[in-house]
Amino acid sequence: MENSKIIIGYIIYLTIVIFLTIYISKMLFKNGKLFMIDIFKGKEDIALATNKLFEIGFYLINIGFALYIMEIYYFNRNNQMSYQTLMEILSKKIGGFTIYLGIMLFLNLFLFFRGRKKSRRFTTQTTKVL
Amino acid sequence: MNYNLITYSIYLPIIICVMIKIGWLFYKNGEIFLLNLFQNNTELVKSINNLLLIGYYLTNIGCAIITISYWEQIDSMLELLNSLSLTLGKIIMLLALMHYNNIFWLKHLNKSKLLNQ
Repeated sequence: MENSKIIIGYIIYLTIVIFLTIYISKMLFKNGKLFMIDIFKGKEDIALATNKLFEIGFYLINIGFALYIMEIYYFNRNNQMSYQTLMEILSKKIGGFTIYLGIMLFLNLFLFFRGRKKSRRFTTQTTKVL
Repeated sequence: MNYNLITYSIYLPIIICVMIKIGWLFYKNGEIFLLNLFQNNTELVKSINNLLLIGYYLTNIGCAIITISYWEQIDSMLELLNSLSLTLGKIIMLLALMHYNNIFWLKHLNKSKLLNQ
């Protein structure tokens, strides 16, 4: 089996990536519920439904991206891959994916803040007009 | 087991310990600034703080892990020590730089908030 190390790499990569995505989106949307309730001015059912929809979207984007970048390209003269090479390739993939996930998380946080600010400005304006 | 693998197995625990410890310290001490910024809205501040901590962990540990793939070839014990200290120093200095940047922004935001009142 000349490709067995690549398969080991795939298994490690997939377990780490899927657990990380699930954990992060659980945490993000557990904490994002408060923002959503703020944005929808206390209408809890709409806020929770929107939260759930965003969570599903987050899963889809991130797991899709993780699978998209999964393929390991490695060609050598005798098709042998050392553990060092495997570790370096895996670190590149997992590290890159982690940074991407962090950026997505900050983007989501930014969207939450923006929505909160907008809904707040809107309410203050309407109260002024009234 | 060659020298590169030894280096990686020394490097990873050290950098992950440092990152987790520092993130935890920021989490503890930054809460009071956030409380000040968000008019003592405790629950919201707690969730923002949690999210910021997770984002910090993701980006920084990702950065630490991705460094491994660009490591140079190591052939002796001396090179191992040299490159280990160089890389650790680089990453910890970067962390310090980001930390001072954060402090600056906190100060700036607090000041602008005081001016608005």
